[in-house]
Amino acid sequence: MKRAFISFLFFFSSALFVAAQPAFEGPPPSLVPVLDPVKRRAEYLARVKEVINWAADGGQAKTDDPAKLDLAMIAAKIVLKEDLHGCSQRVINLMSEPGTGPFWMFPTVCIAYLGRDHLTPEALASIRTAWRTTRQLRGDTENHWAMYYISLYLMAELYPNEPAESWYSGKTSAENLAEARSYLIHWMDLATTVGQGEFNPTHYIGEYVIPLQFLANWAKDPEMKKRGAMMLDWLFAELAANSLNGVLRGPNSRTDEGSAIERWQAMASYFSWLLFGNTPSTAGYGGWGLYFAPLAANYEVPEVIYRIATDRTGDFLQRDRARVRRFWRYSNELSPPVYKTNYLRRDYAVGSTRGGLMDVIQAHVWDVTWAEADPRGKHNTMFSLHPFSSMWAMQSMFVTHPEPMIKGVTFEGKPSYDSPDKIMGSSPYERVCQDLDTVIALYDIPADTRFPHINGFFSKDLVNISEDPSGWIFAQGGQTYLAYRPLAPYHWEKYLHHSSGWAKVRRDLGGRLLVSPHLKNGTIVQAASVSEFKDFAAFKAAINALPLAFRLDPTPSVQFTSLRGKKLSFTYDQVPTVDSRPIDYSKWKLFEGPYLNSELNTRKLTITHGKLERVLDFNTLTVTDRVK
Amino acid sequence: MNTKIPAFILFGLLALRALAATAPAYDFFVCANINRNYVIGSKIVTTNGIFQRDTVGEWQHLGYNDTGISALAFDPRDRNVIYTTGLNGLWRSFDGGKLWRICNDWTMTEARDVAVDPHAPDHVYLALPDGVAFSSDRAQTLVRRENGLPARGKYTQVLQIDRTRTGRVLVGCELGVYLTEDAAIHWRQVLPTKEMVFDIQQSPHDPLVWVAVTQSAGAWRSIDGGLSWKLLAAVPTTHPLYNISFDVTNVQRLAIGSWGLGALTSEDGGQTWTERNAGLPAPHRVWRVGVDPAGQLYASVVAATLFVSSDFGRTWKPDSLAGSVVNKFLIQPKSAH
Repeated sequence: MKRAFISFLFFFSSALFVAAQPAFEGPPPSLVPVLDPVKRRAEYLARVKEVINWAADGGQAKTDDPAKLDLAMIAAKIVLKEDLHGCSQRVINLMSEPGTGPFWMFPTVCIAYLGRDHLTPEALASIRTAWRTTRQLRGDTENHWAMYYISLYLMAELYPNEPAESWYSGKTSAENLAEARSYLIHWMDLATTVGQGEFNPTHYIGEYVIPLQFLANWAKDPEMKKRGAMMLDWLFAELAANSLNGVLRGPNSRTDEGSAIERWQAMASYFSWLLFGNTPSTAGYGGWGLYFAPLAANYEVPEVIYRIATDRTGDFLQRDRARVRRFWRYSNELSPPVYKTNYLRRDYAVGSTRGGLMDVIQAHVWDVTWAEADPRGKHNTMFSLHPFSSMWAMQSMFVTHPEPMIKGVTFEGKPSYDSPDKIMGSSPYERVCQDLDTVIALYDIPADTRFPHINGFFSKDLVNISEDPSGWIFAQGGQTYLAYRPLAPYHWEKYLHHSSGWAKVRRDLGGRLLVSPHLKNGTIVQAASVSEFKDFAAFKAAINALPLAFRLDPTPSVQFTSLRGKKLSFTYDQVPTVDSRPIDYSKWKLFEGPYLNSELNTRKLTITHGKLERVLDFNTLTVTDRVK
Repeated sequence: MNTKIPAFILFGLLALRALAATAPAYDFFVCANINRNYVIGSKIVTTNGIFQRDTVGEWQHLGYNDTGISALAFDPRDRNVIYTTGLNGLWRSFDGGKLWRICNDWTMTEARDVAVDPHAPDHVYLALPDGVAFSSDRAQTLVRRENGLPARGKYTQVLQIDRTRTGRVLVGCELGVYLTEDAAIHWRQVLPTKEMVFDIQQSPHDPLVWVAVTQSAGAWRSIDGGLSWKLLAAVPTTHPLYNISFDVTNVQRLAIGSWGLGALTSEDGGQTWTERNAGLPAPHRVWRVGVDPAGQLYASVVAATLFVSSDFGRTWKPDSLAGSVVNKFLIQPKSAH
């Protein structure tokens, strides 16, 4: 262990001299958990320092000229107390053209607090003035509101007793503070009783934990400070339990085209790297992730969370609940529940929701993701979906006329939304059943649907792909054997990747799509570890020997005995049975598994690893650690 | 919903009566978003929000630079009291747009429309994605008033106050048109629909005449103050109808903005309708239409700009709010203030 630690430090200390972003450009980190708390803390602080140094040196701008820095770089320079005069001038310059909305608000809060004792009064005043003169938009998503209200809360605390006319909102400091506090408590109540709407987001995790870090550090009100710290633990515990060697896999309430296939390519990986050191950081330390670094040294990664992320002794099943983003229209429920199943093993993980419509644009419903020694550039996942695109669905969740929206979202960082070959999004015509490492996805697609087919994603990183006469497609990804059974005829198409964000470029990254143009359809996927079988042929034989019966008309239905000996019976829109027992979703808890447990509506999460236990109780605002 | 009196006869009689009256003077406003590619977090690089058409035909900006204003209303006693709706909810200014206050808290968001009761100007009504809010104190406090609206299906896109009676309001919701006659204490459905009612307007010529346009059920007219409704059969039901506008200068003229049909006009009180898209960019996607106090017709075309027509749609030319999308045209009796 000691050798591993020394090697680890050597890697970073040497890499700093040869690479601009060692965590991104260097070799992947060791997966051996660091059990010595002193070493673990030292490594964590070294990672924090790496981020701050990189940002202070100019980050992506590759210049430390203060006149060209953004607020993240200024934050890093303030931490290092570098060129504070230049930083002050740059802040004044940036505040002359304020942004609008939560993505502008929380960086300015960061500077306003970090700079209190370091920037010039004029620089600090320029921030305060911008908060008066420029209308700030609250946004329309859960992450927008978390950023908005934490930022508003902290600014109102920083500038108390100021009149309504000194704020863009036209409300006094006390009014702003009260409203922000009320919402934040409401949001935390929701998240800790019925779950987040934006659950397990691959990128938006940063939009929660960064402002929560601010709240935990800077709130004057001890209750809000405590709430901020506890929510950080809550979200990081979820990240730990849902990641495979630091890589967050599906299901996800929201993701993007990049991280849907290259699972590591997500801001969540930056946080795994920073907190757990078990995966490389993404380029630029996650971008927004730079704002976490200035205060990161104040966060003590709880050992129990660290161990969940890095030190798993065996396979585990975690069943959780969350909720769907609110439906304004055309739904009998505002925010229906989501039921998540996650089964994680050393070599791979399988995760799913029950399907149906979740986030209309960015949801990712299910996948099998396998471990890669170095996940960078690897498309280590397999899944299928119905590429659903619908004005009606858009209209159900957004408050504008639906007709222009489909084209509109393709210009807002979601370029694939209306593409028939897309690999992201939920569909009202998909139903999913999972038991351990078996997934059955069924589709019953109306004939007049915009894209009347399903897409199965076959990665460039799969090897030994073979289409068996039995109808199964076999493949290997990493140390995982995969069996994919399409239930209707299909053909292959080259997968052309929509680069995420605002880029419209499509690239051939080497993958393929299994396209099955049949309205009544289905996919069965069974995963297994390579080590479970003598060879690939033995795996194939085992799969071919599994009892399977299915029909597609009038309603897709499957009876399948899984590799684990479970008799699965699943009919579209009906409750699945496992060994003849219906899955009773009504009894699902908010979290249930070996690591995370919480009863619904209790505001209390028990985080467990071995003998370690931490209980986050939002009823009493207490954190209780014990060794069982 | 049907009436025993042929609608066109009654409509014509009412129109003649209205024509005899002296035409009031009006001001004309728009809520325009010019920064079309704005998304949360990006910088606003153009001037957006409320614009007023001045006496020489130029648009004068008023208030904040905000890309998301969906509607506006004024206190009829004091033009300096302005209400706007947008992403944050309801904004109010008491000083003509210099200082603003967000009137709602986090329990209300993404307001769609706002209206002030002309006979009780302290009363403000707010259309929300999840219902209706009411204020009796110029939006200093807002309360939900949804008794009679459906538990689900009360997404409210538009509200219009009957200018003849205090507390009488019609709203366009997901499931139809709803009416209150007691300042939103009670609501009742007066026109059921399966999808959204996008706009409701009261005729400036006759307060008994109302027209509603819908997402998929065409256009409807009421000649009894919104109590009963009859389908305007000449308006196609094949495409969404986004809004309806009367011409204050001519009782016979109405216009509809539609995704797919473009600009539709009627010059016989709604009996017949004509697509007036010659000179507008194709495809014909009109976000909103409006008619100014001089009878000029405007069409805000999706992904294009604002167009204006001096011959009620026969010919068009681009107007000066280049690149804009107009969320609201508002014609207001001219203020002494």
